[in-house]
Amino acid sequence: MIALLPRLHAVTDDRVVGAGRVVERAAAMAAAAGATLAVHVRTRALGGADLLDLARRVRDAVAPHGSWLVVNDRADVARAALAQAIVAGRSGLGVRDLGRVAPGIPIARSVHDAASARAAEAEGADFMVAGAVFETPSHPGAPAEGPTLVAAAASGGRQVIAIGGLTPANAGAIVEAGAWGVAAIRALWDARDPAAAASSFLAALPATRTVALVVNGESRAVSEGTTLGGLLTQLGLDPRAVVVEHNRRIVRRDALGATRVAGGDEVELIHFVGGG
Amino acid sequence: MATTAMAPFVQDTPLEIGGRSFHSRLLVGTGKYKDNATMVRALDASGAEVVTVAVRRISLDRTKEEGILFHLDPSRIFLLANTAGCYTAEDAMRYARLAREAGFNDFIKLEVIGDQQTLLPDVVGLLEAAKALVREGFKVMAYTNDDLITALRLEDAGCAAVMPLASPIGSGLGLLNPFNIRTIKARLAVPVIVDAGVGTASDACVTMEQGVDGLLMNTAIAEARDPVAMAHAMRLATEAGRTAYLAGRMPRREVAVPSSPTTGMLS
Repeated sequence: MIALLPRLHAVTDDRVVGAGRVVERAAAMAAAAGATLAVHVRTRALGGADLLDLARRVRDAVAPHGSWLVVNDRADVARAALAQAIVAGRSGLGVRDLGRVAPGIPIARSVHDAASARAAEAEGADFMVAGAVFETPSHPGAPAEGPTLVAAAASGGRQVIAIGGLTPANAGAIVEAGAWGVAAIRALWDARDPAAAASSFLAALPATRTVALVVNGESRAVSEGTTLGGLLTQLGLDPRAVVVEHNRRIVRRDALGATRVAGGDEVELIHFVGGG
Repeated sequence: MATTAMAPFVQDTPLEIGGRSFHSRLLVGTGKYKDNATMVRALDASGAEVVTVAVRRISLDRTKEEGILFHLDPSRIFLLANTAGCYTAEDAMRYARLAREAGFNDFIKLEVIGDQQTLLPDVVGLLEAAKALVREGFKVMAYTNDDLITALRLEDAGCAAVMPLASPIGSGLGLLNPFNIRTIKARLAVPVIVDAGVGTASDACVTMEQGVDGLLMNTAIAEARDPVAMAHAMRLATEAGRTAYLAGRMPRREVAVPSSPTTGMLS
């Protein structure tokens, strides 16, 4: 759980970087979204020195607004540019090795299904970037996994940023499905007014705060306003197979969807096991 | 089903607990099996209709085993939830309410343990929890000592069955005090089901010969080298003991009495 992980992630790619004006557009979005924005510098088109230069200029542009700089794969660049997080892509270094290069910087793992999400937890990822959630021109032909992927990725308790075809119109539903936040490339960088696009995204995100619960004795962060039914969904649990106790009171199955949790709540999820 | 061996020879009534009727007098637990497939086959071999389960936190790390209901069919067996592991009346009541919420029935195998080393019951906490749960509409089956007075108090409290131990849980020491068990059975109107301590088939048989209404066991089957074969042995032993009880044993004598005629001997 990263307390202040931004909820809106403006992710670049080779095309966005090649089109130029990255720093200007990042600055405009940062001014609109402040600490809820993270700008990801992600391109294979630049060598180390140019990549570091771009990362530093982005950081200088967004940091005054409280926005984050996130760098993909290049832990060396992330460290030199004082990035707030690193995303481990599919072909780069693993989470542990990135941590060795850039100790103390939160590391996300890019995941694409439940198995890779579990693997990311096992290798110690701090959060996840899960996609593609919806169909996207970046990955033509790749199956869109939808809210199922988000729920599966979030079930281990790590924060999940959903990516792939996200727009202000579908962002709310994805957060309801368990995502901490959303990432977009086209919907932000290609917008005529990136700042307005960022604001539209923020307006579409249902909850902007999280609360800490104790679930079966373990601390777990969920979005404010999460229902017990939503918690079960995030955990990948079938409500028919679980009995829910909320602050020592049993909650009937038909009331799970209407019961919201609050900070400090204690939730026990029980079932039957072998016994004599 | 369970009475095939004895049915042609003796008339027995079904085992009735809290308004439910069962043919098998052997009740079995589901703990300690090395895998679920073995458990399912052992339950089948035992012929048991009442099967106990425990209430625990679900594992949020879903790489671990699924809940036991993935392996048991509640439409075919009667699930009896227990409050195993509870050391206070309050905890036991909490577990009982959670178990009832799972939605299978109002029965609870009530355990309030008083000591970690012996797992002997805390009869004070047990009585307190039994009274409260009966008020809440539970059919309470109370795991207790082989002590007549506690058994009587539990019956007065409205328990659906009283379940004295043969010997401590998981000990396999067999029936340590047949006299106490017979005394309890003689004085109670509600079913007396001996719970815990049976080690092998002869223990089950001796216990049933005391005239008790039923027998509940877990470890003796689950920890046998071949649990499925032992489950079958326990089924036969339970039926044998019950049948012997109904048949009425011969009197004990301190002298020998010849089995063959003493007349007609060659001179």
